[in-house]
Amino acid sequence: MSRALSWRAVVVWALLAVLPALPFMSKFYLLLAFDALLFGAIAMSLDLLIGYTGLVSFGHAAFFGLGAYASAVLLERGVVSLWACLLFAVLVVGLYALVVGYFSTARRGIYFALLTLIFAEVVYTFFRYTQTFGGSDGIQGLPPPRLVGGFAIDTPMRNYYLVLVYLGLAYIACRVLVTSHFGKVLVAIRENEDRARFLGYNVQRYKMAVCMISALLTGLGGALYPGRSAFATPDLMLWTVSGEFIIMVMIGGLGTLAGPVVGGAFFVLLQEKVSSYVDWYFIVIGLVLIFIVLFMPKGLLGIRELLGGRRWRATA
Amino acid sequence: MDYVVAILLPQLLHGLVFGAALGLLALGLTVIFGLLGVMNFAHGELYMLGAYAGIAVVGVTHSFWAALVVAPIAVGAIGAVTEVATLRPLYRREPLYGLILTFGLALVFREGARQIWGGDMRRILPPFTGSTPLLGMTYPNYRLFLLVASSLLLLAIWLFFTKTRAGVLVRAAVQDAEMLDGLGVNVPRVFTLTFAGSAALAALAGLLLAPIFTVYPQMGVEMILLAFIVVILGGMGSMGGSVAAAFVIGLAQSLLTLWMNPQRVAIAIFAIMIVVLIVRPRGFFGREGVLE
Repeated sequence: MSRALSWRAVVVWALLAVLPALPFMSKFYLLLAFDALLFGAIAMSLDLLIGYTGLVSFGHAAFFGLGAYASAVLLERGVVSLWACLLFAVLVVGLYALVVGYFSTARRGIYFALLTLIFAEVVYTFFRYTQTFGGSDGIQGLPPPRLVGGFAIDTPMRNYYLVLVYLGLAYIACRVLVTSHFGKVLVAIRENEDRARFLGYNVQRYKMAVCMISALLTGLGGALYPGRSAFATPDLMLWTVSGEFIIMVMIGGLGTLAGPVVGGAFFVLLQEKVSSYVDWYFIVIGLVLIFIVLFMPKGLLGIRELLGGRRWRATA
Repeated sequence: MDYVVAILLPQLLHGLVFGAALGLLALGLTVIFGLLGVMNFAHGELYMLGAYAGIAVVGVTHSFWAALVVAPIAVGAIGAVTEVATLRPLYRREPLYGLILTFGLALVFREGARQIWGGDMRRILPPFTGSTPLLGMTYPNYRLFLLVASSLLLLAIWLFFTKTRAGVLVRAAVQDAEMLDGLGVNVPRVFTLTFAGSAALAALAGLLLAPIFTVYPQMGVEMILLAFIVVILGGMGSMGGSVAAAFVIGLAQSLLTLWMNPQRVAIAIFAIMIVVLIVRPRGFFGREGVLE
């Protein structure tokens, strides 16, 4: 935990906390900051799987989307308690993740990636064509969720602080996890799965557990999304969105937790910034991704290493 | 009997037609997987580029046949350049990086096509129309041509891999690239040419299917998932398996639509794939123990 409490971390968190007070932070920028932190947190949850355990999930968009739909369905029906939404998202995403995790973790490498991808496509197809959930339009025009009593999360600033708290708690959870014995076993599985098994660890149970944790964190993030956007659509869980989550992790740097947060935020800001100038921003994003894969496989945080800064190890 | 002739038979033929084209697409994908260990996410975009290159050539020459020759060559060239510039530096790195890289390439190609040709749906007119009486029903000529052409191509590819020195070299590279390198073969060149060939096949599939389907920048996104399913069903890296699986999926898709709406068909195909991955991850003809 020492690093989480380092002076640098304190400065970063303090800056994030006072961000809305800065004069140039309009509502638009606050919502942009919301997205940056939300997708940063989701990329961080995905990093538990990709960076630490070596499992490339190509289906995280389904966890995100299911979380969003879970809370959208409740909001649509007049259940506006944030806590009810979160709880329902945990239930729905948890059940789905249990099934996906059980079958996917039995397979390695590309097979794991493709199983998660196909499961997610099933969910996407289901919501895309089921009229109960609005079909391809999704669920629109939702009321804001309420924290307690009549206190609604209805302004960009309240949404921002909500997502900041979520990111903070998720970060602490992930940090504790990867520094614990459990986290060491995950790294062992990544490095040499057979050896971890021969050492007596029930590898699949560990993989299953980290899948569940990663999925639930992502689902909780998804549950916050309708509060900001007032909608949930099937496009949130298209498989290309899962690809974007992986891009965020790669941009930031595998197996660093903080890196993917930066990567997610960078991705959101890049998309916003570039798309305000040109409408071909996906070319830019694709080129950035190709550049990173080719020339800086350690991601943005890897730059520090090149510059001779403190070494960021993948193993916490 | 009326039911068989009027409904079942056309669907069966539709399935074969689609399966043959899907086979062309999946074949390139599976060879690249065997060679580089990379699932090429940009394969669907090469398929899409084939259709657009066809539109461009038809626009200039007004000849579908010219497009059928020029488009695969053009896309093959794009594939070769792409391979040398981006995939070659990744040979010795983890396959994950290749996977992510091809995802980035797909974004660039897709958006590039949208910028050049716009996001609208387009069509290519078939080079000939009319239909032929067949087994008591009539079937569109172009689809028959598509079935015959794709089948002949698949046969030609099979002959290439079994009868020619170049084909044997590619298969040897799939088996053990390092050994092939040790024997003095220019392996990077084999990789590049194979990638170009795989891109050309994808382009050909895109162009051949264009008169039946519609052409739009996202058209590869859905096809690539089907092609993945085919590659896995057939057994990763198994070429014969891929072709067999392509026909299975083509037939399953067109026959299932007789009883289900398209959404359920999509889910049913996904379900088939999930079951295969769980029960028999090496697919129909995959070698035991490879990557399981």
